[in-house]
Amino acid sequence: MNSFWGNIFKAKQKEEDNIRDILRKVPIFKDLNNRELNRLERILHRREYRQDEVIFHQGDPGLGMYVIESGSVGIMLVPAQTAIAELFDGEFFGELSLLDDSPRTASAIAKTPCKMLCLFQPDLFDLIDLDPRLGVKILLGLSRTIGERLKRTNEHVHILKHLKVQPETD
Amino acid sequence: METAFNKLFKAVVLLVLVAAFVFFIASIGGLVKLLIIAALLAYIIDPVASFLESRWMSRTSATAAIFITIILLTAVVLFLVLPLLSSQITSVQESLSSGRADIFIGKVEQVIAGKLSFLGIRNLDLAGRVHKATAGIAAWIFSHALDVVSLITDMVLIPFVVFFLLKDGRAFKKQFISIVPNRYFEFALNLLYKMDLQLGNYLRGQFLDAVIMGILSTFALWLIGVKYFFLFGAFAGIANLVPYLGPVAGAALAIAVSTFETGDLAMAAYIALAFTLVKLTDDALIQPLIVAKSVDMHPMLVLLAVIIGGRFFGVLGMLLSVPVTGFAKIAIQEGITTFRKYG
Repeated sequence: MNSFWGNIFKAKQKEEDNIRDILRKVPIFKDLNNRELNRLERILHRREYRQDEVIFHQGDPGLGMYVIESGSVGIMLVPAQTAIAELFDGEFFGELSLLDDSPRTASAIAKTPCKMLCLFQPDLFDLIDLDPRLGVKILLGLSRTIGERLKRTNEHVHILKHLKVQPETD
Repeated sequence: METAFNKLFKAVVLLVLVAAFVFFIASIGGLVKLLIIAALLAYIIDPVASFLESRWMSRTSATAAIFITIILLTAVVLFLVLPLLSSQITSVQESLSSGRADIFIGKVEQVIAGKLSFLGIRNLDLAGRVHKATAGIAAWIFSHALDVVSLITDMVLIPFVVFFLLKDGRAFKKQFISIVPNRYFEFALNLLYKMDLQLGNYLRGQFLDAVIMGILSTFALWLIGVKYFFLFGAFAGIANLVPYLGPVAGAALAIAVSTFETGDLAMAAYIALAFTLVKLTDDALIQPLIVAKSVDMHPMLVLLAVIIGGRFFGVLGMLLSVPVTGFAKIAIQEGITTFRKYG
């Protein structure tokens, strides 16, 4: 009997450790300590998606970000159904929705059976009220990530501009 | 542009939904009443728990601290306010059944019968009606409010439910969301958050407004020398939970009892003036600051809600009907808005 309960608790502990390991790898949460990761974990929603199931549609109001616990997700542009990215375990998407509730710019579809951790804007705002220090850490991480993406986008724009200009100079 | 037919259709659909909801609630009975009271209280207290939580207390300790404070406050209220309130109720009852009130009521009846004889009004039996009403109120107080068994059950069960709603409210919401299918998950979450925010603001606003109105009315009545200032002030505060009808009922009771007892019409005018000034202060200064305007309800809707609430749950139902209708209105409004965004 003892070993039965022991196994259940061990399994739960292992699952929590696993979630914490995944969160630690997400750049937004990399500066959080164990206590803070615990607190964050309490506001996350866990969802499971079947293969080809839509996670959200392009144009839906954005409510929050998703971290892939396991599986792969395709980010598609409709109506052309063009895949713009494929994401795997530990990667995340939809983080801009944590800052505003503008419509989703692309659809997200599960390519394989997926397990997701979801963080939503109202929960994040609640957390900022309850624990401002943790809230600032998360917002700083979020800003850093968005800044990185902006830098990369600038580089891409620069490269594209260069490619466009080159034929004229040749 | 919305046509008149569309508006009417929407109003009819809304009324049918409200009626169906009320019928469902009524069919489950007392348990729902208890849960509604507990949920309303939890909504009102929730920001205090969150504030304490933000000051490095765990949710459980914050909830426990609030409960200890409430128990102490209740004890103080029971020892200080309840004797005053019960002596004023007894005094009102005695004076209304005294001969003096009967003489005044008789005079009023004569005036009415004289002025409205063309309507065929002769014998109104006002005194009999007033005695019946006061006896009815006393009977209600003894059969409901002072029914020891149900009082103790409520006094134990309501705080018990409030405690767990406060402590584990977030976990309950998360559990509820976890059973929503993926397809409706974000929609349901979005709707729940918006309803939560609006309903919380609305209920806290109404509660705070009722408390302030109660204090202001008590103070105003004490200032003009009304004998039962505390009883009428407290009643006005509680009645204020029902928009439109509440303030009128509060003033009417104070004016009627005071006039029947003393026969002094000047005092009736002072009381009417005091209530008008308090209501004006409420409309101009208090309500704009604390009551959420988004839940403005049409007077007709309030009236219907109060009648239906009273029909199914009595006096308590009349008080609870307005926040419950506010909840239904928010649910429908936000449901439609969110659905359109996801459409």
